[in-house]
Amino acid sequence: MNGARVAVLQFPGVNCEAETLRALARAGLDGEVFRWTRPPRELGAFDAFVLPGGFAWQDRVRAGALSAKDPLLEALAAQAESGRPVLGICNGAQVLVEAGLVPGGGGVELALARNRMPDRDGYQSRWVTCRVEASACVFTRALEPGTLLPMPVAHGEGRFTSAREAFVEELLGRGQVPLRYAGADGGPATAFPANPNGSACAAAAVCNARGNVMAVMPHPERVLDLGAIARAVGGGGGARRDEALARGGPGPGAGSPGMLLFDGLRAHLQEA
Amino acid sequence: MAARKRCVQAFVELRSEDPEATSALAVARERLEAGRGLASLRRFRVFEIAGSELGASAIAERLHGSSQFYNPAKERCTLRAAAEEQPPAAPEEALVLVFERGGARRTGAERWWRHASGERVEVREGVVWALGFGPGGEPAARATELAATRDRAHGLFANPHFQECRVCAGALPPLDWMTRRDPRPARRGRRST
Repeated sequence: MNGARVAVLQFPGVNCEAETLRALARAGLDGEVFRWTRPPRELGAFDAFVLPGGFAWQDRVRAGALSAKDPLLEALAAQAESGRPVLGICNGAQVLVEAGLVPGGGGVELALARNRMPDRDGYQSRWVTCRVEASACVFTRALEPGTLLPMPVAHGEGRFTSAREAFVEELLGRGQVPLRYAGADGGPATAFPANPNGSACAAAAVCNARGNVMAVMPHPERVLDLGAIARAVGGGGGARRDEALARGGPGPGAGSPGMLLFDGLRAHLQEA
Repeated sequence: MAARKRCVQAFVELRSEDPEATSALAVARERLEAGRGLASLRRFRVFEIAGSELGASAIAERLHGSSQFYNPAKERCTLRAAAEEQPPAAPEEALVLVFERGGARRTGAERWWRHASGERVEVREGVVWALGFGPGGEPAARATELAATRDRAHGLFANPHFQECRVCAGALPPLDWMTRRDPRPARRGRRST
């Protein structure tokens, strides 16, 4: 493949690398699993980086906490600083937050805390709808703000929160919350199940100020086909799925919610 | 002011080697300046049970009999029912308590307790890390440095954006460590923050 090279960082316990590689391939990018045992300097040979989902180091101490201290993250921070795109999905998002790459103002500024809504906590595996917000994030900036993307979530610790109460709201104001959980009306979801974890400002993803590093809790790599959208999902996403199925098959990729983010990465790398 | 409820502490530790502590020790030693002198690290799940009038042995029996607290086949539980009792850590070990801000209550365990004994109790759960340092240095300062994550090079055990952490070195931790607003030293001249 002649596409840009993308490293899919794999710590022990990561389990979504295969789907992530498939998503990159569909986007025309040359993905390669980069295991934690390789020398960090070899990251310099890649154009972009994805930290996939899973349970790195079994979530020991705290989800993402041990991987965040790995020398690979120092090297990754240097790559991010140079402007190369970095996408952290679910557990990868937890690693980026624990490593301070997101929101990237210096030090650890956020947490992805245990899911907690009134009378509801614990692991959630379900479909949610994410609403695209105005942002300079390289993964979403080609998408019209207000676009609704159905995607699955599967996590126990996905609540974006900060010790400083208004901080996530400030990030939203600065365009650093590119995706928010949306309710049936398309507005920000404040209650379960549309907001599956109690995330501040219904944040589903947070990026750095430059927009090249994004931590996203839903799994875009699990919805590469319109036909992969669950039957229970209604709205525009459900309608697009039904149309695709009526045409005789969902077809790989075209217009599927997850692929839109990887297509955004490809477009950015082509421009760069 | 209402009298504080009687509180007991249960320290639950794996009978086998704890992989979580093993990994945390390796990372702290290799990658964090304050962890270089760390000689040992153990992890306990800790429950604080407030409001029970039962005797220590009856409480221990309750804890043993319920799946809400621990699995006796793979974990051991040490109960502290009096402030002067030593937790299951060496006196020279520094203790770091970590619990989720606003999320430490275990309502399922409280419901079970009420069903089993008729008592209304408050149950909170956290994690205590017991840090053994080699000679030299100030254990309290080093434990504090390791407690709260600040960046990739500093802190490990708690993310202060959703967790509280408290350090106790050279002293006995209070029985109501999670709820005490002013965690003063249990003994004169010793440090508990």
